[in-house]
Amino acid sequence: MRPSATPKRQKGAALKAPRGSAKPAVENKAPRRGARSQQPRFSSRLRAWGRHHRSMAWDSFLRLVRYPVGNLLTMLAIAIALVLPAALWLTLDSARLLDAELEESATLTVYLELTADDAQALRIEEAVNAEQSVLETQLISAEQGMAEFQQALGLDDALAGLEDNPLPISIVVRPESVDPVAMQQLATTLEALSGVDEVRVDLAWVERLRNLADLGRRVALALGALFGLGVLLVVGNTIRLSVESRRREIEVVMLIGATHAFVRRPFLYSGAWYGLGGGLLALCLLGLGNHWLSMPVAALAASYGASFSLPQLDATGSTILLSCSTLLGWLGAWLAVTRHLSSIRPR
Amino acid sequence: MIAFEHVGKRYGGRFEALAHLNFRIARGEMVFLTGHSGAGKSSLLRLIMRLEKPSRGRVVVAGHDIAQLHASQVPFYRRQIGVVFQDHQLLFDRTVFHNVALPLEIQGVEPREAARRVRAALDKVGLLHREKALPIELSGGEQQRVGIARAVVNKPALLLADEPTGNLDPQLSADIMALFEDFNRIGTTVMIASHDLALIARLRHRILRLSDGRLVADEGAV
Repeated sequence: MRPSATPKRQKGAALKAPRGSAKPAVENKAPRRGARSQQPRFSSRLRAWGRHHRSMAWDSFLRLVRYPVGNLLTMLAIAIALVLPAALWLTLDSARLLDAELEESATLTVYLELTADDAQALRIEEAVNAEQSVLETQLISAEQGMAEFQQALGLDDALAGLEDNPLPISIVVRPESVDPVAMQQLATTLEALSGVDEVRVDLAWVERLRNLADLGRRVALALGALFGLGVLLVVGNTIRLSVESRRREIEVVMLIGATHAFVRRPFLYSGAWYGLGGGLLALCLLGLGNHWLSMPVAALAASYGASFSLPQLDATGSTILLSCSTLLGWLGAWLAVTRHLSSIRPR
Repeated sequence: MIAFEHVGKRYGGRFEALAHLNFRIARGEMVFLTGHSGAGKSSLLRLIMRLEKPSRGRVVVAGHDIAQLHASQVPFYRRQIGVVFQDHQLLFDRTVFHNVALPLEIQGVEPREAARRVRAALDKVGLLHREKALPIELSGGEQQRVGIARAVVNKPALLLADEPTGNLDPQLSADIMALFEDFNRIGTTVMIASHDLALIARLRHRILRLSDGRLVADEGAV
């Protein structure tokens, strides 16, 4: 909306009428028409405005329904543009859950010297616990370590043959921060404690996974932006054509005093309908894809002994998707109409 | 009601469509604007409708220099002027009723009130029985009358008409002019551009004669 007239222009004060009013610019002295010339009350103007919005929303919907095939194709184009970033977003969402689990499991293992006895181990654990960046510790005795080792490898017989337990006492440390630099720092500090043989930080895979997730997020963002732009272009182009096909009508209503907002309104609603329709179709496509992939994914997960189901858009996600698509449609229409209105001048 | 003060209009810097126009039209007057085609009749009307601004001078309507209107105020200004076009400018995908209702719809008039006024306007031009027809189903004269009904439906104080009888036979033309006289009689200021000299001479109203963009005669002024 343009700002209202500057003070300089208010010289024509009587002619100046607030937007939306029907205040007569031409003075009318015929008394029997006086009542009509009065500026309508704000409430009635608001009602008229609401009425026009309703009728334009309905009218643009009817226009959409009148040419179902062409309009469905437009919506399908929008839907396809929306599905890709939405699917990627969903995938990343489930990866985020995975990531959270990973953070839980990000630990350091402090191996004590083989000579250390239980009393020494307890002292060292205390010292480790005294470190500020340590969240919690768990002491694993040599026997426990052996038991876990046996269980994990299934080498009962081979290990049972050993005379001495070759495993040292170890302390599993859960750090406050899983930031690789901080963890490395903590490891160096702990290594310096007496009685500590070695500190293991297996960060490489945590880091790799995190980098991958970061990459994925950026790709999703870039794709989202690109495809959002795609939706704008699709809607913009469709609306441009419909402005062109209604050019005469626009010229006529502008001749008889329609404001730009009035002219723009039906097209904005068309754009919003396109966006909403595209969003709904995108939801359908996502549901279809989910259905199609769920069987093999479940089978794959089962073969790893895990249960994993494909993430689905919940109510909030669906609402966000629909609002985004509607907004994009509206915006695309606004850009297209505004650009074209300036080129349409009544003859 | 309308005053032209030293108005000139050039197109593209060279072609001078109007020059040195000075005249006044009082409230409630009925004025014919005549001249050969290309004399500047349409340009003059376009200036009053503020489809264009004058290159020189001032066009004053109801005491205000309309060139000073901000672009956002122009629609509200245009709503106060009824305009009848030579080519009607009707929308062919809407019924007669909806064509006439268009200015009221733009102004946000309440639908029941709008319907009442549309029927009154259609009744006035004698087309109440055709309200559900599409413009394409009407004859040229009927289409022109729909255009007139649309121009007067919101009771403008100023009515402009550009060659309203351009394509009509003499009898229909006389009927249309009689309609304009009716509106004039109830206080509307009417300005009609026409080259139908025989017809307007019979009607005995003031005549502004343009030639090459200049006012060459002002006959029958009150």
